[in-house]
Amino acid sequence: MNFKQIMGLFVLTTSTQVVATGSSLVASGGITSFEGTAGGGITPWAVIAGYGSAEEINGTAALQQLDLGEYQLRTFGAAIGIYDRVELSVQRQNLKVESGVVGNVFNLLTAGAIQTAPGTDIEQDIVGLKVRLFGDAIFAQGTWMPQVSAGVQYKKNRDFATSLPLSDGAIPLPDTGVPKLLGATKDSGTDIYLSASKLWLGGAMGNNLLLNLTARMTKANTFGLLGFESANDDGYNLEWEGSLAVLPSSSTAIGIEWRTQSDRLGGLAEEKTVMDVFIAYFPDKHWSLTAAYVDLGRLPFDEKASGLYLSATVNL
Amino acid sequence: MKKGLLVILVVALTACAGQPSVSLYDEIGGSETLDKVFGLAVNRIYNDPKLGPHFNGVPKSHLRKMLTEQTCALIGGPCTYTGKSMRESHQERNVTEAEFYAVVEHVQQAMRLIGLTYQQENRILAALAPLKKDIIYQQTTTI
Repeated sequence: MNFKQIMGLFVLTTSTQVVATGSSLVASGGITSFEGTAGGGITPWAVIAGYGSAEEINGTAALQQLDLGEYQLRTFGAAIGIYDRVELSVQRQNLKVESGVVGNVFNLLTAGAIQTAPGTDIEQDIVGLKVRLFGDAIFAQGTWMPQVSAGVQYKKNRDFATSLPLSDGAIPLPDTGVPKLLGATKDSGTDIYLSASKLWLGGAMGNNLLLNLTARMTKANTFGLLGFESANDDGYNLEWEGSLAVLPSSSTAIGIEWRTQSDRLGGLAEEKTVMDVFIAYFPDKHWSLTAAYVDLGRLPFDEKASGLYLSATVNL
Repeated sequence: MKKGLLVILVVALTACAGQPSVSLYDEIGGSETLDKVFGLAVNRIYNDPKLGPHFNGVPKSHLRKMLTEQTCALIGGPCTYTGKSMRESHQERNVTEAEFYAVVEHVQQAMRLIGLTYQQENRILAALAPLKKDIIYQQTTTI
């Protein structure tokens, strides 16, 4: 977390003390996923960002950090919820890749001629739109009908073609960033998803129970951080994502999540199903804090890419 | 040995079966508790500057009695709700979703202050929640 982000969060947190949030019940807006969309930590939910009711416009600002050792993913962004119907979001992602990984990639590609290289950053921007189609996740009790939303995430990888310089400044592969190097053929893509969310009040021995299921059509490699499409696969794949949470108190949610990924690039960029266990704390309607253990499955030269995930959302 | 196991099994089963037979209504202390909860909730609602005006002309005691009766009936108590339907009583009042949520929060607070557990609170809310669709934005339905 850099200084700018910390200051940003500080300003947001202190300024919200005088600004009212929306009217909806605490925790009903979920948290903010690392793609900027209201949801869980790694997947969208059908809820609209913020605590706005059908008459209100509210929003969220959030930041997330996932520490994977050789990789660090830092993300931040903001979302606006309009009349509990439409959600607009913007998100910046920064995947910091340690020099050991970049050196290993060059080592492999040059058959040992180049063995070390400086670390690099892969950045991606995401613009999201979500629309609640029907349903009321919380108040439609006594029925199985969930709240259902449809959304799109336009993703643009900013470092698809950013050259990787060696320590002496030489550029062995001009205009080739990590995503391109690993076989991705596009620098942008649009994910389309459908999310269904349902909360059972008192559903788990009196505690509230939340279930979310998301189906996503995507061309992204590792969420787009490793680019989009590949030479022999440029079509959409269907991925499944889910969250299951229990709220043992009005301010706490504990749960698990998963998210499938198609292994389009293979080789170094092989993808596996992402999983996490999380605990989210909602002290009041102004902010929430989430800690999770995320298992990303695999990243290049990191067979066990897992680590601590922290996420903070401020409600405006 | 076999007989011993069977006895344990039967005892365990009846113990399990015995628990859910206590209705939520009895568990929380019946209408006496509900009356306290809604006494407090109605006070809070009438004192809320955004909600109070909606209840001009409705005596506090009447609303308290109706809410107690209705909730009692919905959570397995021996009551019959004698009031108007939700659609009828909210007709032309144009209750917004924000106002509805504010009422829910007052009722939640009242349940907590009276000493209901979080789990009892959730189960009561589950019984009341479906009323939302008949409460908000009822101004146009009868024309």
